[in-house]
Amino acid sequence: MEKNYDDTFLARWIAGELTPEELIEFQKSPEYSEYEKINEGANRFEAPSYDRQQALENLRQQTTRKTSSKTRRLFPAWGYVAAASVLLLLGYFFVFPQQTTISTAVGEHKVVVLPDGSEVALNTTSEVQFNKKHWDKERSLKLHGEAQFTVNQGSEFTVTTSQGTVLVLGTQFMVNAQNDYFDVQCYEGKVQVNLPSSEFTLVRGQSIRVQNGEVFSYQNSNSQAPWLNDESRFQNTPILEVIRTLEHQFDLKITGKEKLTNQNFTGGFSHNNLQTAVKTVFDAMEIKYTFEEINQVSIQK
Amino acid sequence: MPLSKNSVCNERVFERVFEEHGTTLRNYIYYKCGDTALAEDMVQEAFIKLWDHCAKVPIENAKAFVYKVAYNFFLKDVAKKKVRLVYKQGSIPKVSQETPEYLLQEKEFQIQLETAIANLSEKQREVFLLHKIEKKKYKEIAEMLGISVKAVEKRMHAGLVQLRKEINYFKRK
Repeated sequence: MEKNYDDTFLARWIAGELTPEELIEFQKSPEYSEYEKINEGANRFEAPSYDRQQALENLRQQTTRKTSSKTRRLFPAWGYVAAASVLLLLGYFFVFPQQTTISTAVGEHKVVVLPDGSEVALNTTSEVQFNKKHWDKERSLKLHGEAQFTVNQGSEFTVTTSQGTVLVLGTQFMVNAQNDYFDVQCYEGKVQVNLPSSEFTLVRGQSIRVQNGEVFSYQNSNSQAPWLNDESRFQNTPILEVIRTLEHQFDLKITGKEKLTNQNFTGGFSHNNLQTAVKTVFDAMEIKYTFEEINQVSIQK
Repeated sequence: MPLSKNSVCNERVFERVFEEHGTTLRNYIYYKCGDTALAEDMVQEAFIKLWDHCAKVPIENAKAFVYKVAYNFFLKDVAKKKVRLVYKQGSIPKVSQETPEYLLQEKEFQIQLETAIANLSEKQREVFLLHKIEKKKYKEIAEMLGISVKAVEKRMHAGLVQLRKEINYFKRK
């Protein structure tokens, strides 16, 4: 009897895949009860328990640490040394605040969930820093680079950059804070932008840009940051800023920028193809260029 | 509007992948090596790797990715160890009006079965336990292990034959 089984018979039996005829036949056989006992016995086992919540918590810590170790710091290391010395002098009266740093490498995007459920989408070569522990008291973070924020309703939410701060209550907006360039686009709700010399309030569709100390306001028709769809879009943006975006997005080196005059670019490019992107921008601006290497372009003009 | 809804680089998506597959992955590795700590370390490594490579792994490949990574870690670390399985009995057999003798017999049988499962070949054991404990269909197991459904069924069949043989051997002793 047993010899008549094919080599998947018991597998089909235990999965309940036998035909009724096969099953009846099998149940008549002497070994059936033994297999049934094994099957039922196996039902009583389970794997040792697994603390998935704890595992996820460990994982969160690991991923944050790993991300932050990759890139340059928002503040120079001596800043920490100075701060540490002050703490030392105070005799460890204060616990050093736990800063969480998230950063992205060239061409990389990351979406990070903040403790209150608000989201930050980081564009390439950007970094945010915030304090997880104090988040419920103060929704505040530092940004270098470009990020879109989706802020849940709640207390004031502050984005601090070297160029100015952006305050909101619950909305969606994008901030691009470079060393010499600052751009805020509001997609939803209301945003307050505090610059060293002035304050602005933006509502949906309004944007503000600071370039060389001059403030421009303009309209945006976006519903979210274009780079979330792997493209960059510009409206009357200085060509140097467009070039910087190209460089950051593709890990590209562009030389000969000094040959360019002050021109503004309106248009966009996709992040899928380097050659096409470069061509799109430079052809539109009638700038002559050559590829020196796969990731190096020199401007001829 | 939610951001990058389908990207593993979205922390929410990433954590959802973990919620969905973390436990089964951990148990799968445990069934191979019998070492919970090691299994949990490997799961952690696999998911960290997924996060680091999130931009290159489409959501639909995330599961296969972590299985592959964990499996590769497993090859490197454990292949030579020959870890014996120690199963914890999760659920106590249901108490009923049965006699103490009968309950004792039942308990003895469970111990024999546990030993017999531990003595299965790794390939048979992982298939048997993924099906019986993790409640995975043969098709899913085949995808996890990168083998055909037929091969899974053969291992399952051979595993059951082996279990019966081993338990009968205990009986005769």
